[in-house]
Amino acid sequence: MAVKIVESCVNCFACEPVCPSKAIYEAKPHFLVNSKKCTECEGDYPVFQCASICPIEGAILNSMGEAINPPGSLTGIPPEKMAEAMAELQSH
Amino acid sequence: MQLPVLNEAPAPASKGGCSASSCGTTDNQMDSLPDSIREKVQNHPCYSEDAHHYFARMHVAVAPACNIQCHYCNRKYDCANESRPGVVSELLTPDQAVKKTMAVAATIPQMTVLGIAGPGDPLANPERTFETFRRLSEEAPDIKLCVSTNGLALPDSVEELSKHNIDHVTITINTVDPEIGAKIYPWIFWNNKRIKGKKGAKILIEQQQKGLEMLIAKGILVKVNSVMIPGVNDKHLAEVSKIVKSKGAFLHNVMPLIAEAEHGTFYGVMGQRGPTPDELQDLQDSCSGDMNMMRHCRQCRADAVGLLGEDRGDEFTLDKIEDMEIDYQAAMEKRKVIHQAIQAEMDGKRLEKAEKAQQFKQEPKLSTRPVLMAVATSGQGVINMHFGHAKEFLIYEASPEGVRFISHRKADQYCGGDSTCGDGESVLQLTIRALAGCEAVLCSKIGYEPWDMLEAAGIVPNGEHAMESIEEAVMAVYKEMAAAGKLDEKPEAARASA
Repeated sequence: MAVKIVESCVNCFACEPVCPSKAIYEAKPHFLVNSKKCTECEGDYPVFQCASICPIEGAILNSMGEAINPPGSLTGIPPEKMAEAMAELQSH
Repeated sequence: MQLPVLNEAPAPASKGGCSASSCGTTDNQMDSLPDSIREKVQNHPCYSEDAHHYFARMHVAVAPACNIQCHYCNRKYDCANESRPGVVSELLTPDQAVKKTMAVAATIPQMTVLGIAGPGDPLANPERTFETFRRLSEEAPDIKLCVSTNGLALPDSVEELSKHNIDHVTITINTVDPEIGAKIYPWIFWNNKRIKGKKGAKILIEQQQKGLEMLIAKGILVKVNSVMIPGVNDKHLAEVSKIVKSKGAFLHNVMPLIAEAEHGTFYGVMGQRGPTPDELQDLQDSCSGDMNMMRHCRQCRADAVGLLGEDRGDEFTLDKIEDMEIDYQAAMEKRKVIHQAIQAEMDGKRLEKAEKAQQFKQEPKLSTRPVLMAVATSGQGVINMHFGHAKEFLIYEASPEGVRFISHRKADQYCGGDSTCGDGESVLQLTIRALAGCEAVLCSKIGYEPWDMLEAAGIVPNGEHAMESIEEAVMAVYKEMAAAGKLDEKPEAARASA
């Protein structure tokens, strides 16, 4: 039972100080979670602290391997709109 | 410091409101400030329009974390070629930041101000931010320290800020209305929860206003930044300006939204446009009756180094500063001498300006229309740059009231990929497009090709005033235009509002 930080992490440090279990640490190429220490905030907070401050959609996964903040949930940009804009840019 | 205070110069009409000062120049944003504040900001390039021609600033990127999301920001973005707030190339530890600051201060002695502005929110990284400030206030006491913040954590930081000799804080306040706030801030992190929409915006607004009041109560100078977002807060910012002024903010900086799809921001991807130069100027003018407006902001990166409008960050990368041996005591001595010389030059110019203003008042007043002119300068308040070397132009308005600074425009604005911007457009064509609305360009020299192209675009190139004071040269050209009868009618490309 632990969350996982994946490669889309931008190393912004926001999650590290809010972790109640001190399970998050700076590493290369991105921050990591010590799965032995992570409690998924149980007993401390009703929501994942790291995923509640993380600005990057998809950067933190729950123990099922699902993005806690799925595409569009933080920026408000509909995923199809983002895909459209990126395709448009690549065609140039 | 033992610098002469500004009002020792024969103050021309200290009353009479603001914008139309008797100076023959009407750009003096400082005119209506109390002396105590003027003294504090006179060598701060961000707070004083004339100081920004002489003094440099730098930002150290020690603050990566943020506690809110703004629709004009993308936290993934990091590009060496891109210049806008929130973008940095290397994140620094406080130790590296101190070393870099001292290296810059020793190499660029006219650097007077160190700011922490991100790339996240400085006050969401209190340990890194305050460690940097604490060490700099001890080890480099001749550098002014400032910080900019979104305001969410501000009330909790005021006490700590006042300990570190920080007498300038910038708060970004885009709205005082939670309905509007919800369209700018999708979420905040507050009390261990992510709070979305209007509820989050309401908390942010309350914290900003509370923080502003607390800073003023502590005697800390506050500048307010606002991002102008057409259709979202553009109609509302005049009210914001009034409110923050009434609470004691001394300067308001309304900046244009920067939004391009390739930035990956909400506004960029959703096609939200930024304001045109005309719209921005009209809003700044409408706020200026109530508030000192800053118009020379370059919206710089969170790791910018140098005069506003230039970035010498490449000279001070971590590997380069590693090898630099800095004797800061010696550097401070040198800096003091240079600062005094600059100050004397600025005081001389201010005096000269006041005298010219007196003369200008005696002259018969013109009844001609206002004209925008672009100026190529690398600083010192004079026309000293070759047209082809200019990365940006300063825009001045000449009118029967005098000359006032309006804004800057980037010369190398790159194509956003839209249809109005043809693929084959050269840098020169882009530059000329960036000067739309101007009727003359003043520079030290200019080549034949741009000369012809400018003329074809209805902009008169002028290289006759090299090394002259900007305001005087602009007024001289204006008078020539008036004498030649060019100002009796509106030009084809006249501003709608002119």
